Amino acid sequence: MKQYLVTASFAALMAATPALAHYGMIIPNDPMISQEDGRSVDLTMSFSHPFELDGMMLDKPAAFSVTHEGNTTDLLGGLQDATVMEDQGYTLEYRLDRPGTYVFAMEPKPYWEPAEDAFIIHYTKTYVTAYGDDEGWDTELGLKTEVVPLTKPFGLWEHNVFQGIIKMDGEPVPYAEVEVEYYNEDLSATVPDELMITQTVKADADGVFTYAPPSSGWWGFAALNTADYTILEEGSGEEKAVELGAVIWVHFEEWTGN
Amino acid sequence: MDGQLIRAAAVAATLAIAPTGTMAHQLVVFASVDCQVVTVEAKFSNGRVAQAGDVRVLDGENTLLMTLELGEDGTAVVPLDSVDHSGGLVIEVDTGGHDNYWIVTPDDITRNCGS
Repeated sequence: MKQYLVTASFAALMAATPALAHYGMIIPNDPMISQEDGRSVDLTMSFSHPFELDGMMLDKPAAFSVTHEGNTTDLLGGLQDATVMEDQGYTLEYRLDRPGTYVFAMEPKPYWEPAEDAFIIHYTKTYVTAYGDDEGWDTELGLKTEVVPLTKPFGLWEHNVFQGIIKMDGEPVPYAEVEVEYYNEDLSATVPDELMITQTVKADADGVFTYAPPSSGWWGFAALNTADYTILEEGSGEEKAVELGAVIWVHFEEWTGN
Repeated sequence: MDGQLIRAAAVAATLAIAPTGTMAHQLVVFASVDCQVVTVEAKFSNGRVAQAGDVRVLDGENTLLMTLELGEDGTAVVPLDSVDHSGGLVIEVDTGGHDNYWIVTPDDITRNCGS
């Protein structure tokens, strides 16, 4: 019984903690596919708290696509149901027919978050390069909101800075707040204070933000803004605010020198 | 010879001939295949097409089968019926200052030709 109480208390504490950041996630098996790696990339999609490996329900997205050499292809029908972080997610194996940068993008259906009294829509992107050709690494998709990379979003060493422009409806968002979180895949990272789970930076007057991660691995950048529209929440019958997230996932490589 | 061995041989060969000078941009070599031809494409990582260079076609056992010139559009075409491609092909492109390779595996040919 004692153990149950401790567990229950911890669960209640976690549930009450407002600091947990939600992230749409598109994680490839490798952000830089060489010809020796094969001819395809394996993608895993989820909606989660990536530092705690706490999954949430990801309904079938409203849109899922890949853009390569200026052409966008609808991949929604190819998503396979999967359990990711013990919750509903999706996987997709995508064949890479030619060199270049492939930009995978997901628009989830609005997620109702009672704790925030708002819907959440995270427009999520991940860039994958194929066969040694990085052309297209700075592609802007024209999403409702997105992070447009100023730094190549793959092939980065740990501790490198990553810069991007936060855009909403194609325009930079001055002083936008960007939440940064590590995908703690093996739960090896710990924090002395839960405030450090999610790092926060602000963009400058031109919507440009900068961050240098302390380690290699996958790092998610989420710029959160309130939409200029509301959505009817059926339970209450009230119109609710919508949090729009521009999310990009970037992998930093372990430095191999001394 | 399977794709793995072709790759190992190609990597070893490429490392053996790789120039030692520092390269500010790399050569990107790619080859697509259909039932008739292998189309070789070469460009630099800055996006510029490689307008001249030697294209060497080797079989899966690293035996040189053919040498072609790269066209001004950065491409070269290898008729499939002109080479023994049963064990796959290694396509090397050397522009003088830069070189790289692409491996056409037997699976690439089968997948795109269905034979």
